[in-house]
Amino acid sequence: MIYIFFVIWILLAVATFFARSRKIVHSLYLVYLLSHAIFGANLLFGGAYLSTSGEFFTFDQVGSLFYVLLFVVSCYVFVHSEEYLKDDTIVNYRNYFALLMLLTAAITGVYFANNIAVTWILLETTTLCAAGIIYHRHSKATLEATWKYLFVCSTGIAIAYLGILLLCATASNNSLSYADLQHLIINGNPLYLKAAFLLILTGYSCKMEIFPLYTIGVDANFAAPAPASAMISTGLVNAGFLAIFRIYKLFSTTEVFPWVKNVMLIIGLLSLVVGALFLRRTNNYKRFLSYSTVENMGIVAIGLGIGGLGVWAALFHVVCHTFIKSSLFLQIAIVRQIYNGYRINRIGDYININKVGAIGLLLGMIAVLAFPPSPLFISELMIMMEALTLKGWWVVAIMVLLICIVIFTICYRMIKLCYQSNQDELHLSNINRRLSYSALSLLILALIIGFWQPAILRDIIDKIAMF
Amino acid sequence: MLLSLIILYIISLIYISIVERFRNYASIIAFQGWILLGIALLRLHSLDWVELSFIVTETLIFKALIVPAILTRVINKTRINRIRTSGTSQFNSLMLSVVALVISAIMTYYIADSSINMVFFGVAIYALLSGLILIVLRSRIFTHMVGFLVIENGVFLFSMAIGVEMPMLINAAIMLDILMSVLMLGLFMTKVDDKIHTDDSDSLTHVKD
Repeated sequence: MIYIFFVIWILLAVATFFARSRKIVHSLYLVYLLSHAIFGANLLFGGAYLSTSGEFFTFDQVGSLFYVLLFVVSCYVFVHSEEYLKDDTIVNYRNYFALLMLLTAAITGVYFANNIAVTWILLETTTLCAAGIIYHRHSKATLEATWKYLFVCSTGIAIAYLGILLLCATASNNSLSYADLQHLIINGNPLYLKAAFLLILTGYSCKMEIFPLYTIGVDANFAAPAPASAMISTGLVNAGFLAIFRIYKLFSTTEVFPWVKNVMLIIGLLSLVVGALFLRRTNNYKRFLSYSTVENMGIVAIGLGIGGLGVWAALFHVVCHTFIKSSLFLQIAIVRQIYNGYRINRIGDYININKVGAIGLLLGMIAVLAFPPSPLFISELMIMMEALTLKGWWVVAIMVLLICIVIFTICYRMIKLCYQSNQDELHLSNINRRLSYSALSLLILALIIGFWQPAILRDIIDKIAMF
Repeated sequence: MLLSLIILYIISLIYISIVERFRNYASIIAFQGWILLGIALLRLHSLDWVELSFIVTETLIFKALIVPAILTRVINKTRINRIRTSGTSQFNSLMLSVVALVISAIMTYYIADSSINMVFFGVAIYALLSGLILIVLRSRIFTHMVGFLVIENGVFLFSMAIGVEMPMLINAAIMLDILMSVLMLGLFMTKVDDKIHTDDSDSLTHVKD
């Protein structure tokens, strides 16, 4: 089934590349979203759930959950992008939408791939699509960001490839499906397994935006148009997470699993350190939100590192972070339309300029900082409680210290945007309150999950975390 | 024969650490492409036309011909012929390269078991370290690109070190990797120099905090 949809999505993207007017692009992306809706409906209600499509794709729980999130976010991203790029030339406009379609299709493939090589290939494909989106403005800064993105991602993905090869050597078999590898590596050489895990984790860290290759995601978010950053910071980051999570799960039956968890814990703590410290350093709201992603993915990695309930909490954290962060990026896109920039020390008074947008940002601040009723409060609390039980007080102490820095920085800067006096030129005609409401609705969705987690969501995360 | 090619490959890696002219970099990359072709052909288990055409496409057409040709065009276009003189000296680079070689040998001795070909494994590790050394020590973007290509060659050798016969899927993955390299080289050639007007990586510092 998925192959037919891949063909449809690619054809639609190609048609968009050659579209002659905005109306045609608009129609094509609506058809594209409709095709995703049909795919999703077939997945959830048409009996495709938990089945296998062809040799390389399986519609398992974790892939389906992340696909639903991707679909929701992509609908918002496409609609917001249309307004955001309204002054662009038709060539830039259609290229952007075509690449966004290809990126969404590639991410979908990553979610459902049941083969380690297919995951790797599709992650590499996301690099190609994302690079085109990052270069959208054709400026010196975007060129630099694109060059760095391509260079570091390619090197990272090459490193991950080495890990995959080593894993194959350990398995002594040419089957690359996760299910087969799970059995084949149980008695593998521990040294090879450790080296393979380290290489794959390092390589995929550029996609999940965690230490060590986190910088490239920050640069990508900075240079890409803000609605696309919402996609990169959630859909693509989730793809990186899922790729690492599948490897993590693969190693759960091996004797090196305790070591794997320790590595995840260290990587998570280092990402949290980087996120917390760089949040204070940056003077750009988009980079600021990107470092917040690094910090949150660090918490997710800590959850995996702790294990037990921490895995459940990590998955729940990723789900809720997707809604919160995409909402914040979409709100910041509206900020850019009004101020024509993201400079933290110059722009302000947003509460009087766009009240709905400002409320959206302040609520987003509460949500991303995991203050109740944010759903992130539940996941962070669970991770800390599990850390106290399984790892000791020192993990919690470091986490609390770093989260305090994050809370101070994010509160200070978000409040500054809303209440400090503005020093930049305003473009008040660009205010679009409907988009502010629209971005706010994503956040409200996250807050509802904070109050009440649907049984189906809890059930599916239970099943994913059980291994 | 195979051992001679491996020794030649190691010599090319040592030589690349002391090279200062860009044309020599392009020549070494082409030379490595030819050596890899020889190694891959000698390692062929049977005459499988699909595998043979893939090997020829990857090593001969891409690594030995197209990439060096693009590198040469970049050199002609940018008119920058040498690495910066203020960078690390030839002697220090050579020492680092030798240290990398020793580290690779030690790692291979302690890590490699019967499931991995020790010689290929060691040379692949050395190629990876050499690529990383080039990227870290040299300040020109061109040299970074060459470092990436050396790493890619190392990855190719690493796949040879694995005794398991890889399915076509892995070959497709390698082709995609090649596509990425071509894209990067294309971007480098057509855009970076036009917009940034230099090939010095020091100028790529606008995107930062």
